[in-house]
Amino acid sequence: MSNVNAVTFTIVVVLFLVVTLTGFAAARWRRAEDMLHLNEWGLGGRGFGTFVAWFLLGGDLYTAYTFIAVPAAMFGAGAVTGYFAVAYTIIVFPIALIFLPRLWSIARVHHYVTPADFIRGRFGSRGLALAIAFTGILALMPYIALQLVGIQAVLTVMGVGTTSGNAFVKDLPLFIAFIVLAVFTFVSGLRAPALIAFIKDTLVYLMIIVAVLYLPTKVGGWGHIFSTAQAHMTSISPVTHKPTGVFIPTTGNSQLAFSTLALGSALALMVYPHAVTAVLSTKRRDIIKRNMALLPLYSIMLGFIALLGYVALADKVTAANVKKANNPQLAVPYLFQHLFPSWFTGIAFSAIVIGALVPAAIMAIAAANLFTRNIFKEFFKPDASPRLETRVSQWVSMLVKVGALLFAIGLPKTFSINLQLLGGIWILQTFPAIVSGLFTRWFHRWALLAGWLAGMLYGTIAAYNVSTPTTSHWGGSVNTLWGHTYYIGLTAVILNLAVSAVLTLVLRATRVPAGTDETLQPQYTADPVDAPTPAPAAAVLGSEVSRGD
Amino acid sequence: MTQPSDTPATSGRFRSPVAAHPVTSAIIAILVLASIFFALYVPLYASATPKAGDFPFFYFYLLIYMPVLGVVMWIVITLQRRLRPGVPGPGAEGPAGADDGEVAR
Repeated sequence: MSNVNAVTFTIVVVLFLVVTLTGFAAARWRRAEDMLHLNEWGLGGRGFGTFVAWFLLGGDLYTAYTFIAVPAAMFGAGAVTGYFAVAYTIIVFPIALIFLPRLWSIARVHHYVTPADFIRGRFGSRGLALAIAFTGILALMPYIALQLVGIQAVLTVMGVGTTSGNAFVKDLPLFIAFIVLAVFTFVSGLRAPALIAFIKDTLVYLMIIVAVLYLPTKVGGWGHIFSTAQAHMTSISPVTHKPTGVFIPTTGNSQLAFSTLALGSALALMVYPHAVTAVLSTKRRDIIKRNMALLPLYSIMLGFIALLGYVALADKVTAANVKKANNPQLAVPYLFQHLFPSWFTGIAFSAIVIGALVPAAIMAIAAANLFTRNIFKEFFKPDASPRLETRVSQWVSMLVKVGALLFAIGLPKTFSINLQLLGGIWILQTFPAIVSGLFTRWFHRWALLAGWLAGMLYGTIAAYNVSTPTTSHWGGSVNTLWGHTYYIGLTAVILNLAVSAVLTLVLRATRVPAGTDETLQPQYTADPVDAPTPAPAAAVLGSEVSRGD
Repeated sequence: MTQPSDTPATSGRFRSPVAAHPVTSAIIAILVLASIFFALYVPLYASATPKAGDFPFFYFYLLIYMPVLGVVMWIVITLQRRLRPGVPGPGAEGPAGADDGEVAR
């Protein structure tokens, strides 16, 4: 296309190449005796320290979609659907501090790789473990797709590959980015995103610091930005005949929507399989805790990224561009392109693209591990060797990415964003089983399964029924119950808990077998120094040599 | 059902750190719950004033919350370390932790 900026384009391509080489080189980083073991490929040897874990978790939890969608929501509707993300990333850390160290310890002692492994061991239930694994894979697919949507937003604004009517040519750059991602994940496993996360975070921090200091001066200062936003949010929309958005949530219902969205999202984030993968890859129990104190540094950045949505609103050219494209996801890319010099636009765009690759890789690995451990090995090949497990995981990670690519290309944008909303609602339904299991065996395995089913059904149907003046279904993630507005995920998980509790009482009264528990109480606070040795089956293959001595 | 049968086997060596340090545990619980509550209770900060520079209070409050949260979490972790009985090490966790260490040797 004629209006591709050569400087911007070159910088993005060069930085992408650097990342690609890093991805492949990562296979040699902290190289293990035997790469063909899930502890190695899928969990990076379970040996990451505080520093690497900070980058990995940060790279994992704050995705490209965050950089695109949160400001887009601020741009479109203001505080309730956008700024809640700041409250959400605040409370996620104290909540995680309550249960993540226990999950780390029990997984370390029993060599669990996935959250479903833990459920299997704790409740002795293949069915419940399957439900957890299935939900994890289901929720991760659209999440990976959204990373690709983030890349697409940047490519669209760059003017790369958008003019052709041919779907393949149109998305060729996305295909290339995707193939590179798939291949280096296949080769290097979790080491690739861990190493690339360093580059990503450096670029992202650079981008944000410059954006926050420089951009407001170009559009008339923060005072002007906030007053423009306030005027826009309180203006009456011609479509809905209601205010466009919420500047400060002062009504009871907007406050309730704000806090239930924040609470529900925070509960969901740390039970997402990719978050668990990053947590289990660390070396010591204290590293998880320390990161709960250090990661809020990242969230400060998120707060400012959210406010970029208002900056875009205050910049007339950007606001007009976004309106013309009718896609608020383009707000931040257009803002950068308009106000930054082209070389810095290149750096900022690279930050977003690389910021998409890191979490997408971890998510694909997490989904692959779930499939291998809790579906393939559990139901099809119980005697699978660690070598076979790793091979299967590698190929499944590839498959998962193809699925995500089809999502990203085939479905309309609004649809994939709604799938992401659903993903959050779905994954939240695994919270009762996982987190209650870390503290008590009181809940009955079948009651938890029934609760999960109830939550999944209610959440999906309720989300389907949300309508807006412009869409008849999948219109958002909050609905109104008894005159109050709540996040659907949170009401679904409360239903889930209620069903689980009532059925537990019934099943206990009728003395239905509760299944065997292979875990012991002290193991939930254990902190074994050595990396766990591979499971007994692996010892036969001679790969039990302890690393790092 | 299985819970009670586990307890006698391990209670000899495993004493709940919460029971051993009630005051520290209470402080930890209060700090964790407070840091969740003050972010979730929106009426507390949903106002435009007082402004901090050009930032309305609502926006400023959550931004400044982050570094404060980091410090509070750090205090919680430090307090939790004091809960741990004896020297933290592979032998301190009871039978399972010790077994795991043996196997790795």
